[in-house]
Amino acid sequence: MIVGSSAFGPIVLTGITQGQRAFPYLTTMVLVPVGVALLVALLPKGSTWAIRAAGMAGSLGVLGIAAAVLDQFQSGDGGYQMVSAHSWVAPFGLSWTLGVDGVSLFLVLMTAVLFPIALAGATERTNPKAFTVWVLLLEAGCIGSFLSLDLLLFFLFFETTLVPVYFIIGGWGHERRGYAATKFFVYTFAASAFMLVGILALVFIHQGQTGVTTFDIRQLANTHLSGTADVLLFCSFTAAFAVKAPIFPFHTWSPDAYGEAPAAGSVLLAGVMAKLGTYGIVRFDLGLFPHAVVVLAPLLLSLGVIGIIYGGIVAAVQRDLKRLVAYSSLAHLGFIVVGAFALTGEALSGSVLQMVNHGLYTTALFLLIAMIYRRRGTFSIPKLKGLQGSAPVMAGVFTVVMLASIGVPGLNGFVGEFLILAGTFLTHRWWAVVATAGIILAAVYLLWAYQQVFHGKQEPDGDEAPFAEMTWREGLVLAPLVGLIVFLGVYPQPLLQRITPSVDAIVLHLEQSAHPKIPLAGQPVTSTVAARLDPYPSAVTVSISSSSGSRRHTRTNVKGAK
Amino acid sequence: MTGSTGVLGALAAHLLGAGGLVLPHLNYSTILPELILLGGMLVILAASALSPRPLPTEVYATATVGLGIASLIASLVLWRDVTSHGAFTAIARSIDVDGFAVFFLVVVSCILIVAPMFAAGYLRREGITGCEYYVLALISGSGAMFMASANDLILIFLGLEILSIPLYVLAGLDHRREASGEAAMKYFVLGAFSSAIFVYGIALTYGATGSTNLAEIGAFLSRNVITSNGVLLGGLALLLVGFAFKVAAVPFHMWTPDVYQGAPTPATGFMAAMAKAGGFAALLRVFVSTFPTLRTSWQPVVWVLAILTLVLGAVVAIVQNDVKRMLAYSSINHAGFVLLGLEAATARGIAGSLYYVFVYSLLVLGSFAVVAAVGGNGDADHDISRYRGLGRRRPVLAVGFAILLLAQAGAPFTTGFFSKFYVVEAAVAAHSYALAVIAMGSAGVAAFFYLRVVFVMFSDVGIAGASDVSRGGGEIARAGAVAAEVREQDATLLGGAGASAVATLVAPAYVAAPELAPEGTPSEPEVSVSPWVTTGLVLCVGATLVFGIWPQPLVDFAHQATLIF
Amino acid sequence: MGGATVVAAATVPDALTFAIAAVICVGGAFGVVLMRSPVHAALSLVATLFGIAVLFVEEDAQFLAAVQVIVYTGAIVVLFLFVIMLLGVDRKERVLADVFKGQRVVALVLGLMVLAEVVLLGRSRWTTGAHSATGSLEGSGSNVAKLGRALFTAYLVPFEVTSALLIVAVVGAVVLARRPDHRPVEPIEEVEVPLVPGPDDDPFGAVGTDEDAGGSTAPDETASTVPEHASSEPEHEPAEVPST
Repeated sequence: MIVGSSAFGPIVLTGITQGQRAFPYLTTMVLVPVGVALLVALLPKGSTWAIRAAGMAGSLGVLGIAAAVLDQFQSGDGGYQMVSAHSWVAPFGLSWTLGVDGVSLFLVLMTAVLFPIALAGATERTNPKAFTVWVLLLEAGCIGSFLSLDLLLFFLFFETTLVPVYFIIGGWGHERRGYAATKFFVYTFAASAFMLVGILALVFIHQGQTGVTTFDIRQLANTHLSGTADVLLFCSFTAAFAVKAPIFPFHTWSPDAYGEAPAAGSVLLAGVMAKLGTYGIVRFDLGLFPHAVVVLAPLLLSLGVIGIIYGGIVAAVQRDLKRLVAYSSLAHLGFIVVGAFALTGEALSGSVLQMVNHGLYTTALFLLIAMIYRRRGTFSIPKLKGLQGSAPVMAGVFTVVMLASIGVPGLNGFVGEFLILAGTFLTHRWWAVVATAGIILAAVYLLWAYQQVFHGKQEPDGDEAPFAEMTWREGLVLAPLVGLIVFLGVYPQPLLQRITPSVDAIVLHLEQSAHPKIPLAGQPVTSTVAARLDPYPSAVTVSISSSSGSRRHTRTNVKGAK
Repeated sequence: MTGSTGVLGALAAHLLGAGGLVLPHLNYSTILPELILLGGMLVILAASALSPRPLPTEVYATATVGLGIASLIASLVLWRDVTSHGAFTAIARSIDVDGFAVFFLVVVSCILIVAPMFAAGYLRREGITGCEYYVLALISGSGAMFMASANDLILIFLGLEILSIPLYVLAGLDHRREASGEAAMKYFVLGAFSSAIFVYGIALTYGATGSTNLAEIGAFLSRNVITSNGVLLGGLALLLVGFAFKVAAVPFHMWTPDVYQGAPTPATGFMAAMAKAGGFAALLRVFVSTFPTLRTSWQPVVWVLAILTLVLGAVVAIVQNDVKRMLAYSSINHAGFVLLGLEAATARGIAGSLYYVFVYSLLVLGSFAVVAAVGGNGDADHDISRYRGLGRRRPVLAVGFAILLLAQAGAPFTTGFFSKFYVVEAAVAAHSYALAVIAMGSAGVAAFFYLRVVFVMFSDVGIAGASDVSRGGGEIARAGAVAAEVREQDATLLGGAGASAVATLVAPAYVAAPELAPEGTPSEPEVSVSPWVTTGLVLCVGATLVFGIWPQPLVDFAHQATLIF
Repeated sequence: MGGATVVAAATVPDALTFAIAAVICVGGAFGVVLMRSPVHAALSLVATLFGIAVLFVEEDAQFLAAVQVIVYTGAIVVLFLFVIMLLGVDRKERVLADVFKGQRVVALVLGLMVLAEVVLLGRSRWTTGAHSATGSLEGSGSNVAKLGRALFTAYLVPFEVTSALLIVAVVGAVVLARRPDHRPVEPIEEVEVPLVPGPDDDPFGAVGTDEDAGGSTAPDETASTVPEHASSEPEHEPAEVPST
């Protein structure tokens, strides 16, 4: 009668690769913020300095580990690296399986970069202890989500992020923070309910086929799904990601949450949390449900394009600077979604790259707005005027960031958007055409806002002091962001070089799985098309050489596309 | 003496005819946990009656906790027997000793270990003396244990009554509030009504199958194909209604909000935990192990019950401003989740339900303990506005409550997540996709009202709507006030927790109320927490977090409990 | 399984007994309804219940007969009489006036339903378990002996567990009946909710209860009482009351 502890079938742990014996970078990266958060929680409330130092040290430590991961990462390998797999709750088949590939690598790096910046740029003076704890826990949740190769583990981290964000918005937000925080939590929580059911259904279908209970996406990717099941599961996953990202009709929580959140909260929401949704689309939707992706791609492309246009139009009529950026974020995420569902190599690469880019310039924008708010106490565009006169440096930084956001060549926003549009144009021409209009819209509303806020003559408003110039501290916070914005605009090769092999592997998997049903029309050879259209020949040449080398996936891809 | 025995024996032989009487072997060890509770209860009663002056409530609490620990040990010994020898029945096949039963023995023991701690603080604060709470709790616990290990419908019924009647009395324990007496009356009338329905169900089932013994009923049903089973289905339906009343499943939940709200708060927590444990123990056993052949008949009914329970519990809880009442509706929602496992009717589903009941027991006990503490002297006002700023006044208490509430909402890395995951997984495995989606959706809705309390605790403004009053300058001024407040509650409370964990008896029974809130907020109700309550909370919250991060042992326990059926 | 059962033909004494008992039953029932004095009505009920007990004996259900006399005649009717006496024997009841509207119709319908059920159950055979619903018990010995045997064998645990039930009853009765006289009731001060008018005349108002048992969806505040501490806590301001 008594059966051993392995409850629901044999538990198989695979992927114990070379990373196993090496230092567990990824696990450490997830656990360090948790440990520091616990440490901070034990510090006395009054020792503000120690709390801030510990928080900063913890997030910088994560950045250090992330840098080490980047160093260890073998560029050109499209598979998962540094995989560490440990059984956690055997009866459920839940395992602690972390791994990094080209798609997640830079999202993790971006997360590691943005958290110290968010902590440093935080203007929250009340209760720094709780704030630091929540931010660190959020960092652990985000990094864990990006690194999880186990669906259930991903879901756990994905859900975990809600709690810190809820408290950050609710605790340190603006006037309507309670409303915004609750709306955010309930929306995203309810949406991920569908994903959990979808995850379980997928796992049981897989179990029925192979007899193995596992949440490992590398094994689940080989599940054979009937057309209906595929589409339903895809919808259940996409529901969660679409709300989290957010994609157009599911975005209603985001302007409230972005607008009411404190500066650090907006930064982390738009910069990092939104990427959880788009990352989920790339990793899980594209990786697990190839048929459904091919079938439903036009729908998602349409939603992405609608998001671009809608976000642009609504942003253009905003009178609140922060809500303007929130809506512009919606538009930019529309680009990322379009890139993901164009189903071509360079569009997907651009999509992944754009996730990183968007994280950088949105963070900078939100921080700048927070600096303005700190001086003027308002986000209202009509009430701000002529800031350029007394704060030229800030105006300059704002210009650079804004131009990156618009997508001006030479800055990072351009690279991603161009790759996305170029890749989309090949397979879904008219969507690309409409999406391009979004760039023009972005130029319209951002330049208009800039003109309103920075140009003109500052009217002395009696009791108000003249608008202060950017402080050294603020400059130091923004410097890395601006540096990265410019650097990635000029030289995105190191990123593309590492992203492309993984993206190629995803596209190949899509192609192989979806081919019997619907051939991907005009599936291009990634590298040649990219070489033809990319304005950075040097960057792409390297990426060709790396991907056309000895790597299995890319080679097959090139062959298959002929 | 021998003479009289002889006479009696002859008389018995005469009365019984030629058949003689073979008494069943009384294997007391199989009902040792129940006997410990009942025996201990009698000792406590006797002690309280014989002692020259009233004993302090802490003495009784300590004794009850000790009895809980003793019954836990006895249960674990039984668990060892079961795992090494397999399941068996004892004492004329009335008692089932299997993993399922022992699991619930352990759950009940745990409830009895924690509940007295919360009661002690409350009874001391309210000045209610005497041993009644503890005695009633012990009897109630033994009733739940009998329900869990019963292999006979009659014994289940008796267990149900032994479980319920003390709960009726507990609901009316507070003589000062009319609501308490009203709750007791309401609970009693509706409970007696449901018991009557249950007995009728037993009668019909007996009529249809010829036995009240669950094993014999099951054997009969597997041997015979019943062509016209109207009577049996009628009996089954009545049994289900009786159980649904006890576990507060919609539409048999009407008593829950009023009774939960009216009863003294620690009694409410105990009631929620114990009635659900006992009710679900018997419900799961009767339906899954005795009537599996009729599954196609009862499964749709349970499906409907589960959906109604999940949805109504979550939706109605949203509009409650009384935290106690909100928790009452949320307990209805939780009952729906447990029904999910029953609806799946698989080993996995049962394991999920078991796990859920265990987890929920501790969560609800802890939650109501905080409610009791915040409710303040008199236990009458549990409005959500009382929780305003609790995070500043009593940070540790507020954080503990927040963890318990988040766990109830199903936040990851708490036991609440895995309990919901377990039953939903079972539902999906049984292809009840719609049910699984509705369940998770209701969890999303439920998250709303848990978070509302959490938000109010950690905000100085109150509920969302009230925040419009304060803007700009007010915001800054208040922030300054918060920052200026350096009162450090964490250290004292943590210290209290540690001290009380070590020496509950030595520590002062009552921590003096903290000084009043700082200027600007003169009307904040004070909240006092006795070390007893703190200890109990530490146990509940600790279990929630530890088993949330490391759920393997509990999951294995629940799983094995269903294997050794 | 009950196929072999043969119902013995009724003998003359049987028929006589039945007739007398039936007359007692029906007469008692009429007495309950028609007697003007409640005490007489209750005593008529005793006659009915006693008649039923005689019918049980005739059916060889000795135990049931005993239970009938002990429980119904002995306990329940005596309880009725207690209540009647406590309320006052002399109270005149307006027997002919309906307390509930449509009482008679409902009573008639219910009575007919019960009759139909009895006829239905009596005439048909259930497809049931080991025992026939219409046959006699198997085996030898009186049914008292069989019950006794069952109580000490198959139902030993339930029989013993009943003792716990008795203890509960005693403890519960003591707890509920005891007046908290040794401890002064703390004064409870009421704060009116300005938005919703509470019952002014009732000092306890609706203390945190809800009149609607059916799970109302409205917020539950009708009035909220805030206890005042015996110690130094200041009075709560109305602003404390929740915003609705």
